[in-house]
Amino acid sequence: MNTKNRTVITANQHVLIRLPSEGTKIVELRPSGVVSLGKFGSFLVDGVLGYPFGQSFEIVEGQDVKPILSLQHSSDPKDVSEEPEGDLNKEELTKMFSENNQNIIDIGSKIQKLTNDDIEELKKSGATSSIGQHIIDQMIAGHEGFDKKTLFSQQKYLRRKQQKFLRRFTVEYLGSSQMLQYYIDKDLPRVIDLSEESLGLLMTYGNVRPGGNYLLIDETGGVVLYAMLERMGGEGQVVLVHENEHVNIIALRHAGYSEEYINRMVKTIDYLQFLEPENEKINWEDKSEEELAEMKSSKREQYEKRRERATAINSVIETVQNGNFDALISVSTLHQPTLLPRILDTVGGSRPIVIYNQYKELLLETQHVLTKDKRVLAPSIFETRVRPYQTIPGRMHPLMTMRGGGGYILWGTKVIPQEGITAVGRGISKRKREESPATDATDS
Amino acid sequence: MSFYAYKDIIEAGDLVLAFISRGATKPITVTPGEVLNTRYGQFEHDLMIGMKYGSQMAGKKGYGFIHLLHPTPELWTLSLPHRTQIVYTPDSSYIVQRLGVGPGSRIIEAGTGSASFTHSFARSVGDKGKVFTYEFHEVRYNEAKRELEEHGLMKNTVITHRNVCDDGFEIDNHKVDGDVVFLDLPSPWTAIPHLNKVIAEDRQVGICCFSPCIEQVEKTVKALEDDGWTSIEMVEVAGKRWEARKDMVKHVDDVVKRLKDIQDRKSQGIEKLRNVNSTAPSEVSSTESTPEPPSKKQKRDRGFNPFGKGTRIKEGDDQYEWRDVTKVESEIKSHTSYLTFAYKNPNRKV
Repeated sequence: MNTKNRTVITANQHVLIRLPSEGTKIVELRPSGVVSLGKFGSFLVDGVLGYPFGQSFEIVEGQDVKPILSLQHSSDPKDVSEEPEGDLNKEELTKMFSENNQNIIDIGSKIQKLTNDDIEELKKSGATSSIGQHIIDQMIAGHEGFDKKTLFSQQKYLRRKQQKFLRRFTVEYLGSSQMLQYYIDKDLPRVIDLSEESLGLLMTYGNVRPGGNYLLIDETGGVVLYAMLERMGGEGQVVLVHENEHVNIIALRHAGYSEEYINRMVKTIDYLQFLEPENEKINWEDKSEEELAEMKSSKREQYEKRRERATAINSVIETVQNGNFDALISVSTLHQPTLLPRILDTVGGSRPIVIYNQYKELLLETQHVLTKDKRVLAPSIFETRVRPYQTIPGRMHPLMTMRGGGGYILWGTKVIPQEGITAVGRGISKRKREESPATDATDS
Repeated sequence: MSFYAYKDIIEAGDLVLAFISRGATKPITVTPGEVLNTRYGQFEHDLMIGMKYGSQMAGKKGYGFIHLLHPTPELWTLSLPHRTQIVYTPDSSYIVQRLGVGPGSRIIEAGTGSASFTHSFARSVGDKGKVFTYEFHEVRYNEAKRELEEHGLMKNTVITHRNVCDDGFEIDNHKVDGDVVFLDLPSPWTAIPHLNKVIAEDRQVGICCFSPCIEQVEKTVKALEDDGWTSIEMVEVAGKRWEARKDMVKHVDDVVKRLKDIQDRKSQGIEKLRNVNSTAPSEVSSTESTPEPPSKKQKRDRGFNPFGKGTRIKEGDDQYEWRDVTKVESEIKSHTSYLTFAYKNPNRKV
């Protein structure tokens, strides 16, 4: 059974750490361990245990932590009622400001008196967040143009410096969105340019839910598989097709699922077994009790292993032969126009076919093939892009840059064509057409 | 029929989505004796019973067809009777993914509207989760309630007739204990303070406020800040649908060749001749030296006509050269609403 905790920060789980720099890290929380966050300091694991996921912390003396409202708020959450603004020393630091930037002269970093050596010196004096705060105070004190900045510009400056110097972090539950984001930051090709919004659309169009029986092709190292398992909540099954001898689901090593759980939920099969099941089925006959009794223990062990493997392979091949999958979800670099016609019939009637590709052109080719094929109804290519905004009242605007790309999704419905059905308007005599002046119904 | 799981064979009483054409899907309850009339023919319910979901079905007269689809929240979204503006799939799927909605989630949704997102939530949270949805408009509430009942979604969904902005979210006999909040209301900032009584106290709670106007977002952000919500971020989702098409490849050399052909024919007086004697095109073509036109079916000889000018050509016709292209839908949803996300933490050990 899967015992991982989704709501409370618990020992021996992998979690996502979000840093003020907007960087992310995946760490395992070992009891009594220390987690190093590089220039953002390090903290004792025990200090964060027991808080709900999503809690932000600030590093205080001796790798201890105290909970804070968020990465942007320093105040103790209990004091929130007394300090409704919450923003870091906004009042004191930003007493003097300009209405506009008329008096700003850009002389680069010279405007700020604190040298890099000074900063390094200050950093050495301690690894707590208050040192970071001290550095920021000093920088502002020695900043010639700070009072000439507008209030908003001052706040932006503060935010930037906070991201650099404050020793704060948030512990988040490592869900599929967090795992995907981690890979987007660290290794984008690994997830084939997939964005969070495209992943969401894949799961929704795929109708992924508890109890489903899905056919999946996942070349992201298991990120898509993880998202599916999350939506299935331990009920149902995923048959995962892979092109190498062994399946790559490396992303699941952070997932906190037991091997037994993964074995129960995920059945793997390679393309050879999938496409040539009759050749690949293993002819297996159990040995008799007498034969087994004669075996040496090492031989017996080997026998049991081979037996287990044969059973597993034959069982997954049988699952594929029985077909009737509740969806086909494909996140793959394989040429889909050659693959899909060979595997479509394993998907049940009226079930979704959902194909992801980072290139629209490849889905275009696929859509042409499917439209001719008639087994997929109304295939279309979908693009979804999320545009983030600077979310400050009075200063709302879309961010100046955002991630490009994010991929495309082809979605259609597996159907069962009937032989010899004629569309209205096709192959019907002119007289009949005049009787029922309907138009061509084959545009689906 | 169920929004929680698929079945394979159509039975009497099932909700079937009759896919007539793109943009025309009709929900029907399969009832013996009834007939579905469409512009593509008539379809007897009796014949549907026993067919497989996904089947193509021929019309009564032997031509014309529809497809019989199993309902899903997404297909339902494309066919449902609109009572209000609905939350479309690019928005809803992103909200579900970002807020980590899954089996066991406890959703607070206001208002219910056309109940399209309610279907999607109910499907995703499964039997371990719960959806609490609120609608203040009485007629809409009654319709949504009937629909949710008919669709068998009451197993994990509770619908309440309530103006949450005035009267909050508390329900008799239920501990709401919500951990995902979706507010699609004209003034979410008036509902936000009421949430404190019904959201979970032992885990993080995520919220998404769905508002079309930037002024609403301003007020919402302030209300969220005042109430202790953090990591506030507003985003917009832009969804587009693309279709695969084919575009004819026209080489300039062929244009030149055709112009020369026209010139030649003019100088030989062939054009004039043909106009007089249009019933005998074969005689004409035998006298010319230009290459054979690619199209053989032409009723009238147009000389060298590599792009089939003046004739009706089906996109992708084998006699011409084509390039695969994509075309975006003719009208895109350039703005649905702004999505304002935020989180609330208990900020204590639990």
